[in-house]
Amino acid sequence: MPQPAGLLYSKEHEWVKMDGQTATIGITEYAQASLGDIVYVELPRVGATLGQFDSIGVIESVKAVSDIYTPIGGEVLEVNGDLENDPSLLNREPFGGGWLFKLKVTDDNERNNLLSPEKYDEIARD
Amino acid sequence: MIDETVRRTALFDAHLALGGRMVPFGGFEMPVQYSSILKEHDAVRRRAGLFDLSHMAQYGLRGARVGEWADALTVNNVATMKPGQARYNIFCNEAGGAHDDVIFYRLDDERWLLVVNAGNAPKMWAHINAHADPGVELTNHHGERALIAIQGPKSVAMLSAFVDIDLAAMKYYSCVETTIRGVDVLLARTGYTGEDGFEIFLDSPFATNLWDALLAECREAGLEPAGLGARDVLRLEAGMPLYGHELTEEISPIQAGLKWAVKLSKPAFRGKGALEHQVAADTYDRIVGLMLEGKVPARAGYRVFAGDSLAGDVRSGSMAPSLENRNIATALVAPSAAVEGAQLAVEIRGTRHLARVVPLPFYKRPT
Repeated sequence: MPQPAGLLYSKEHEWVKMDGQTATIGITEYAQASLGDIVYVELPRVGATLGQFDSIGVIESVKAVSDIYTPIGGEVLEVNGDLENDPSLLNREPFGGGWLFKLKVTDDNERNNLLSPEKYDEIARD
Repeated sequence: MIDETVRRTALFDAHLALGGRMVPFGGFEMPVQYSSILKEHDAVRRRAGLFDLSHMAQYGLRGARVGEWADALTVNNVATMKPGQARYNIFCNEAGGAHDDVIFYRLDDERWLLVVNAGNAPKMWAHINAHADPGVELTNHHGERALIAIQGPKSVAMLSAFVDIDLAAMKYYSCVETTIRGVDVLLARTGYTGEDGFEIFLDSPFATNLWDALLAECREAGLEPAGLGARDVLRLEAGMPLYGHELTEEISPIQAGLKWAVKLSKPAFRGKGALEHQVAADTYDRIVGLMLEGKVPARAGYRVFAGDSLAGDVRSGSMAPSLENRNIATALVAPSAAVEGAQLAVEIRGTRHLARVVPLPFYKRPT
């Protein structure tokens, strides 16, 4: 399955959508399918400053706890409150309603450390 | 010598064809899930689920002395079992800790089946052989015999089309040798999900045919293949111990709340002295059920506090679909904390979350 265009990706199966200096971050279809039924999501606090690739929260499936790594650094502007009451949104709409949080990006150059849809697709196929 | 090779059950290809996600478990590659743990859990609670349990080790026991021999090695009564009975039991070490929890099936006067956990199979085979008795012939069928379980409220209706016997009349924890479509099987009304259901023991070469036929003919009635992930949530809700979690070489059946299975009235058996002492002193750490406040799941190993003092640790934990998605856990805690209704706290990533001590099981099937 091709990866959605217009997004950047991390090796840890997160995606970033850039809109000016604002980055919206989520997990990929591959990630949600690998995790299975998601029952709890712990996100960073609004206002927190995150460094690129830092471990900044967890996603819990029925079986396991997995770390979330932010694919890009910055200050947290907003977190997806819908996930608190409906974590399975992440399973159903990983690229849509299941977004995780938004950041004000600190360093534009960090995008160069991310993958294109084509490059990420090679990883997600393994 | 331990064989580190990961083995496959006779149903391996069937699991792949169904999209099973295979993981190593107890020395075998087993399906942890097919579609979704929650969907499979739901199928078992509402309709029925089909499980491959062929990784569990099946040992044949034969001889006039099996009952007496097993009584000396286990905590529950064996010799008093009648042909056609199945019984849960525990092999203990001399300190009262558990080597394994098992089920004995008595087929007739001389023939028995002993089923042990896959992960304990090498240890248990060595253990029973170390205590060999000339009057007890031991045969290891691990890998040669398959085990398929159908579990859920519709299992009687579904399986009835496959057998000539009256399944509704079979007692819980009874077993019968019969045939299914010309294949010899041992059929038992046993399980590990908290639901009604059956376990079918048969020679491995026939397993795929039976598995495929059950799925093909019962799928419309709602039968779904179910993996080890669903099984673990189901057994936890039903308050059943999982070896390595609620029972270990260090955690005795008394500590695990399995006193009903420990027959201290029996003459000498392995571990009896230690278990008697535990019961008399009543100072042992014990397994309790916890119902957590909030949405964060507790996991095995998390620390449990009573006030400011460490009371013990979580042994199993999960979100519980049968309990309105509340988070449940078992924990091994000090006796002072093991009081029904007590407010304890589970430490999760540095934060303490309230948890109330509740009676086990968490879930009982509607009767």
